[in-house]
Amino acid sequence: MSNTMESPKPRINSSMLTQYISKPVCFVGHVETVHNTGKSFSVADGEGRSVCVELNDPLEEELSGIVEVIGMVSNKGAIRATTFNMLRDEKGIPFDLELYNEAVKVIHDFPQHYPFDMAASR
Amino acid sequence: MSVKLTQGAIEALFNKSMVQSPILQVLNIREYPAGKQGVNKYRLNLSDGERSLSYFLLGTHLNHLRESELLEPNCVCVLNKTMFSNLASRRVVVVLDMDVLQSAAETGGRIGNPTQLTDQTPDQQQAEPSTSRSDEIPGPSGCGPGGGGNYGMKTSPMKAPAPRMASPMQASPMKAPGMVSPMQASPMKAHGMASPMKTPGMASPMQASPMKAPGMASPRMASPMKAPGMASPMQASPMKAPGMASPMQASPLKAHGMASPRMTSPMTPSPMKGSGMASPSSSPSKSPTRMTPIYQLSPYLSNWTIKARVINKSDIRNWSNARGEGKVFDFEVVDETGEIKITAFNEEVDKFFSLVEQDRVYLISKGTVKLANKQFTSLKNDYAITLSASSRIVPCDDDRGVPNLLCQFVPISQLEDKDPDAVVDVIGVCEEAEDVSLITTKAGKQLSKRALTLTDSSGKMVTLTLWGDQAQKFNASCHPVVAVRKARVSTFGGRSLMVFLNSTLIVNPDIPEAFALRDWYNQVGHALCSQSLTEVLSASGDFRTNWKTLRDVKTEQLGHGEKADYFSCVATVVFCRKENCLYRACPGGSCHKKVHEQDDGRYRCDKCGKDYPNFNYRFMLSVNLADFGDNMWATCFQETAETLLGISAEQLGHLKDTDENAFDNVFDKIYFSTHVFRNRVKLENFNDECRVKVTVMEVLPADQRQHSRRLLNAIRELAAPLIDIDA
Repeated sequence: MSNTMESPKPRINSSMLTQYISKPVCFVGHVETVHNTGKSFSVADGEGRSVCVELNDPLEEELSGIVEVIGMVSNKGAIRATTFNMLRDEKGIPFDLELYNEAVKVIHDFPQHYPFDMAASR
Repeated sequence: MSVKLTQGAIEALFNKSMVQSPILQVLNIREYPAGKQGVNKYRLNLSDGERSLSYFLLGTHLNHLRESELLEPNCVCVLNKTMFSNLASRRVVVVLDMDVLQSAAETGGRIGNPTQLTDQTPDQQQAEPSTSRSDEIPGPSGCGPGGGGNYGMKTSPMKAPAPRMASPMQASPMKAPGMVSPMQASPMKAHGMASPMKTPGMASPMQASPMKAPGMASPRMASPMKAPGMASPMQASPMKAPGMASPMQASPLKAHGMASPRMTSPMTPSPMKGSGMASPSSSPSKSPTRMTPIYQLSPYLSNWTIKARVINKSDIRNWSNARGEGKVFDFEVVDETGEIKITAFNEEVDKFFSLVEQDRVYLISKGTVKLANKQFTSLKNDYAITLSASSRIVPCDDDRGVPNLLCQFVPISQLEDKDPDAVVDVIGVCEEAEDVSLITTKAGKQLSKRALTLTDSSGKMVTLTLWGDQAQKFNASCHPVVAVRKARVSTFGGRSLMVFLNSTLIVNPDIPEAFALRDWYNQVGHALCSQSLTEVLSASGDFRTNWKTLRDVKTEQLGHGEKADYFSCVATVVFCRKENCLYRACPGGSCHKKVHEQDDGRYRCDKCGKDYPNFNYRFMLSVNLADFGDNMWATCFQETAETLLGISAEQLGHLKDTDENAFDNVFDKIYFSTHVFRNRVKLENFNDECRVKVTVMEVLPADQRQHSRRLLNAIRELAAPLIDIDA
């Protein structure tokens, strides 16, 4: 799991999960439900589809709003999170998830203009 | 290669029946030199081998044919378009379009042995008008210009290069389509004719009369003079009825040197008979009256009537200036020969505003024709009409021959090549229409605005901006076909179209191009992802802004044109010139000029010419703005600097003098802050050095979401052509 911190983690939305199985990704979404054990929760992306996020350690605090999850995609289509952080509203401007989704799509549609992978592989 | 002349054409044309492109030979050409402001007029004697007629007037727009000597006696030509006209019972054929088929040299000599057709007797040869004419003038009516003596009308007029003048009688043409009888008279004048000259124009008309009663004429003549517009066609009547006609002659005279006698056609005395002329003139509004073609309207013509369609009616505008106030409205009319602008002021506005409707045909007469003020119109006409109390406008139901629109549509794809501020006609299908938005003009007035997206078969789209009432009334449902005449091309957002004062907007016009466009759109166009020439602007709100990146400023050479360019950008402040950000300004009223400190501690303003004990601090802040691609220096004046720094000039001035740390802090706070800047950029000449100067007009907080959406839209737009449409 530690290798997730060494390589670049492409931002994806729910429709791209299948292409990144067993790869580290960064997923941003709105927290929908939290399992009562606190070991998993579901997040919905800009398109409305939810993804299950599994944690190693149970949650310690209330989770709500927009979160950014970094982890590996399991072969079941869930994300094993290594770390996550809540995105707070800055200066009263809410995080526009749809806009973020559009940006993610653009990044994936035009990889030649967004060479994130290049930066990583030396 | 002798070209065959169309036999029987002359007789047919003489009888006013249309002949399709008759081929005729030019026997003779008479030139009527131009007056002070006119152009030459040429009268042609054409023959078809059997008969000949010398009442062909060459449309002035074809003068170049004569002047370049293509058109010479004995050459053979084809008349593509002609128009019949009537001058006091003299039939005239105006040649609107013709081509020379065979030059004079090739033709050799005269084809056939044509006999001349005249109004009187077909066989009468009217070679030398002047002389014969004189005989006819009964002259008893003493129309004589009263001058008499050297009148020698008969011949004196001849002195003038335009002997034709003699006929002036025929003059009645006044009403006649531009025949401008005045001509008659004028030539006379020009040649110092006839002493009768007491009344300038008089001279010629007199024909015979002068001789007889020198004294007589003058009084008579005088009268007409007073009433230029006198209808009395005068024709021959003058001769017969002393009090009559003369005015006619006279009037033209008044109308200064018309120089082109035009019709005068020495011919025939027949005009004399035309006393009937009077009637037509008196009721110009009747359809049967001779119509003046618009292209022949001039200030020298009185008693004209035009039959034309209103194609552009403006709203009533009120004005108030030092000389008083008033209201005005104007409209443009078109007939098959041209277009002209008609203006009505004050009382005439009340009279005619509700009567005149766009697209209807009217008979208009008794307006004042004068030189057009080109600033207010872009019509191709040197003259414009102003309505007066005696003007008459009568609706005419017979609109045969009057075109709907004179438009030369430019395909949207060609708009890119047009210069900014060019005036074009465009037709397109309204693909999309923004909602009406209200903006505040610099004058502080509220103005509605609407942007439409037009697309046409060239595959390109452009944005057309409507203002005011037009914007509000526009109905964009069902993708209407929109034709706009005289829209201005602007470089706003690449290329876009603006409707302005002289533009005409027609929705779903009744013209073939509109139908063709509708068909195209229904089949192909609606699915086509046309590329817009106007930069795509994100949804409502920043419609009017011209978004650029800082790199674009250099690559697009913004500001290099004649006018300043305005653009908006999202940029970050990276540096401020703190040292010279404030200056001492004149405290008097709205004068913000820099003041100089004098020895006595007072501050002098050169502009106001006064000195004050104090000054106001004002901002002139130079900031360096940067974005991903480039950086640039811009100047923020009072308002924008205060917005950016969040502190007033006075307060900052105070801090500068007292607390330096606090002063620095103000600037530190804005370093690396991102804002939306609306700027004005212009290439300026400063002591022989050309520099692009950028002034910040407005600072707005950066709306990242809006910016992102804009960028995403732009990306998608740019990517669209790459996507396979057929897929």
